[in-house]
Amino acid sequence: MPGTALAELIRQVARGDADAFDAVYDQVAATVFGIVRRVIRDPAQSEEVTQDVLLEVWLSAARFDPGRGSAAAWVTTLAHRRAVDRVRSVQKEADRERRVAAAVIPYDEVAEAVESSLERERVRRCLGSLTELQRESVTLAYYGGYTYSQVASLLGVPDGTIKTRMRDALIRLRDCLGVSA
Amino acid sequence: MSRPEREAHTLAGPYAMDAISEPDRVRFERHLAGCDECRREVAGLREATARLAAATAASPPPALKERVMAAAAATRQQPPLAEPPAASRSWPAFRSWLASRPGLASRPWSARRRFRVRLALAAGAAVVTGAAVLFGVSNGSMQDQLSRDQASSQQVAAVLTARDATMRTGAVRGGGTVTIVMSHSRRELVFTAADLRSLPAAWGYELWLAGPGGDRPVIMLPAARHGMAGPVVAAGLRPGDHLVLTAEPSGGASRPTTPMMIDVVL
Repeated sequence: MPGTALAELIRQVARGDADAFDAVYDQVAATVFGIVRRVIRDPAQSEEVTQDVLLEVWLSAARFDPGRGSAAAWVTTLAHRRAVDRVRSVQKEADRERRVAAAVIPYDEVAEAVESSLERERVRRCLGSLTELQRESVTLAYYGGYTYSQVASLLGVPDGTIKTRMRDALIRLRDCLGVSA
Repeated sequence: MSRPEREAHTLAGPYAMDAISEPDRVRFERHLAGCDECRREVAGLREATARLAAATAASPPPALKERVMAAAAATRQQPPLAEPPAASRSWPAFRSWLASRPGLASRPWSARRRFRVRLALAAGAAVVTGAAVLFGVSNGSMQDQLSRDQASSQQVAAVLTARDATMRTGAVRGGGTVTIVMSHSRRELVFTAADLRSLPAAWGYELWLAGPGGDRPVIMLPAARHGMAGPVVAAGLRPGDHLVLTAEPSGGASRPTTPMMIDVVL
């Protein structure tokens, strides 16, 4: 089952297939844990949220619609949203201040524990092709868990500008990474 | 495209990164519902964010997998599907995980002997409300039922994955096996029963918490599927409680009226 495509595995999970879920776990756990920990930072909370996300994959597998995007995007969207919800609901201001500093770093530091160094390198290179404002918008929003208006005030730029930069940045990243939409 | 629509459209980037406040999210999702092009665009942007996520991949601690698999095995999926979830399959998976989990030793009880495990509650801890939190089939609307199922799934998972979870299994007088996973810190337990003897029509199994303060009904067990009833959650455990199972008229009784089929000191 390791070679089976993620979308097909999730279809099987939707029918209650525990073996397929085991295989899904193996395929996505590192990505889920990685992004959740990147956003939340705290290891214990990151584990908790990772667990919630993976359980949600099991619970709501039937809601995955391949017509609306890839299985990987479905899972990472669940993961990122949960992580963001967590930091927005529980993190104290002081923690958030510390995370501002941390959130700005990822572009250079996108590599931590090297798992898929090739992917990491490709993403790092594509982030590098953005303008500085685009790159900061994306890293603060996606890795830092900030809303666009928080990003705007952190960077001292109007809201409207940041919204546009975020969209432009993702379009450039999408093209640079060769993602088929 | 009208002006508000154009404005909403610029939220595609923030939306794809969850960099959006709740009111903005609601507004944008309303816009998305009527805009095929926007949905395609968001889908494309999300493929890019998925790659941003993949670039941070890091292996979680191995123990996490055990917890996730166990929680999944004991958790009903949503929404209702054409085929029923493989309860017959997840039950053994659940049992074998529990049996293998270090520190969560399975401790059978005998019909006569009672194990004493004191609830690790601080003296003077606030007394929880008398009624145990119930989950189960009732006369509520479908929507009610769905939300209750979800609440319970999360509750079950929370108990199973609690750091202080302990498990016990035992035989039921009259036939069947019961598994209890209890978290003292949460004052909750998850109960499942396998292969209970079938009862006459209009009768069912009722679960009770019996303690110094009296007997509290927990729940009428839902009908067994693939031989397995539950999981159900009993909340609000108090020091000195026993868990009791009896057969009662399907409407439920206010106190046990038939012999106890299990009587476990929690």
